[in-house]
Amino acid sequence: MKPQDKIQLVSGLLDLPILDKDYRYCGIVDDLEFEEADGALRVKALLVGPGAYRGRLPGWAFRLVGWIAGKRIARVPWDAIAEIGSAVVLDVSAETCGLHSTEDRVRRLIPHRGAL
Amino acid sequence: MNPLELTLGILTAVGGFVDISELVFAAQAGSTFGYALIWVFAFSTIGIMVMGEMSGRVAAVAKQPVFNLIRHRLGLKLGLVTLAASFISNLITCAAEVGGAAIVLHLLTGAPAMLMAAVMTAVVIASIWILPFKWIERTYGLLGLFMIVFAVALVKINPPWGAIAGGFLPQVPPGLSTQELLRFAYFGVAIISAVLFPYEVYFYSSGGIEEDWGPKDLPINRVTCIVGFGLGSLLAISILSSSAQLFAPLNIDPQLPGSAVLEAELPMGRLGLLLALLGILFAVAGAAIETCLANAYSVAQFFGWEWGRHKKPWEAPRFTLTWIALFLLALAIVLTGIDVMKLVEFAVLFSVLVLPLTYLPLLLLASDRHFMQNHRNGVLANGLGWFYFVVIVIAAAAAIPLFLLTSGGQG
Repeated sequence: MKPQDKIQLVSGLLDLPILDKDYRYCGIVDDLEFEEADGALRVKALLVGPGAYRGRLPGWAFRLVGWIAGKRIARVPWDAIAEIGSAVVLDVSAETCGLHSTEDRVRRLIPHRGAL
Repeated sequence: MNPLELTLGILTAVGGFVDISELVFAAQAGSTFGYALIWVFAFSTIGIMVMGEMSGRVAAVAKQPVFNLIRHRLGLKLGLVTLAASFISNLITCAAEVGGAAIVLHLLTGAPAMLMAAVMTAVVIASIWILPFKWIERTYGLLGLFMIVFAVALVKINPPWGAIAGGFLPQVPPGLSTQELLRFAYFGVAIISAVLFPYEVYFYSSGGIEEDWGPKDLPINRVTCIVGFGLGSLLAISILSSSAQLFAPLNIDPQLPGSAVLEAELPMGRLGLLLALLGILFAVAGAAIETCLANAYSVAQFFGWEWGRHKKPWEAPRFTLTWIALFLLALAIVLTGIDVMKLVEFAVLFSVLVLPLTYLPLLLLASDRHFMQNHRNGVLANGLGWFYFVVIVIAAAAAIPLFLLTSGGQG
């Protein structure tokens, strides 16, 4: 399914995994950002990261998740989506949308040797 | 269908089928109720065949593992509850496997079990770091085939085959007191839980992605689940039957994971003992890896991290740190000195509570026209799937009352 097709936002998009153009996992569709255009609402961006859980979790749970995982949010522009199916596939790299920063930070902590 | 791949897949499933909980409950069920609980093993095995096939099919067709789509199906809140519950269940199960392997290593070497738990943890962490997924799965699965010694031992003691065959028919032994009936029911629920552990579908479906399954692999998936799990279950039934034949007449209650090895030693001597210890060691160590990776898969997939051991450990860094931390946490639980049998009981009890949350989204996903297209559940898969779901819900509802009423199966 292409982003311009008719999409059920909750059952067909929310909470789907996101893959970048190289098919690397780079987050989940945690929430959606809308904008008004010509008197109608349209999706502006996918919101990714634990900060986007606000409003989707009870307050105490949101604070707990924030304490463990932080409250960062990355925005993936709607135009960056190539396809929507059992995952959302982007036509840009994860880095372009700021989606791989934590993964990259943690990668530096791990030795890069010894694995077949 | 590549015959070598198929054979290796089946053998891996056979060697990896039995874990510490099945081992313990099979031996205890046989010594306590003779052959009367064989049918529960057979019944549960059909359940894991159905659900395993479904989870592999979802992975092959939707190209996403089960947990990735659980959150999409259940939403963030209920998904988070499922993640937390399966996390605790898998962690306790992993600790039980580590503790069980430590006891076997203690029996093999005479070294203290706590030291052996640390050694075992170091070895499995090194295995996962060094070996890619397929090698990990195959190495431990194939070495677990030493468990076949239990089937050979059963043949050697020349058991009453008619009585064993009769055990496959659903039954409740006549003349049981109320307390014994409750204990029989507790064992039944524990066996259902041990055979249908949630980690099995998380690991199996993630394994399908690790091995890059596609629709062309669906026949292998189906045959592996039916033949591999079926033959693996026969090993558990062999342990139960030998226990019924050897332990029940002497009123021996095989409380320790090491007790089952006597079933091989009595008819086959030291060779039987050694093969049984090695079989249990590799089967349980393999299960420890599966539970730990299943937990790390779930966490990584829930939050959309890079995951998988088809990648180098540094290519999926948060996933790597998670499985290492989980192994260390499981080791820490064992090092508190908690009785491994208690861990096995808690693992089985907690897992049965999680089972409905695991299998409901799987059933919904496998029937989803949007994700599964032509490969969605047919009438048979749907009928069996929902039937087993109802059984699982009843088992989950009955688990805690039965645990309390029987003091954890002690009567």
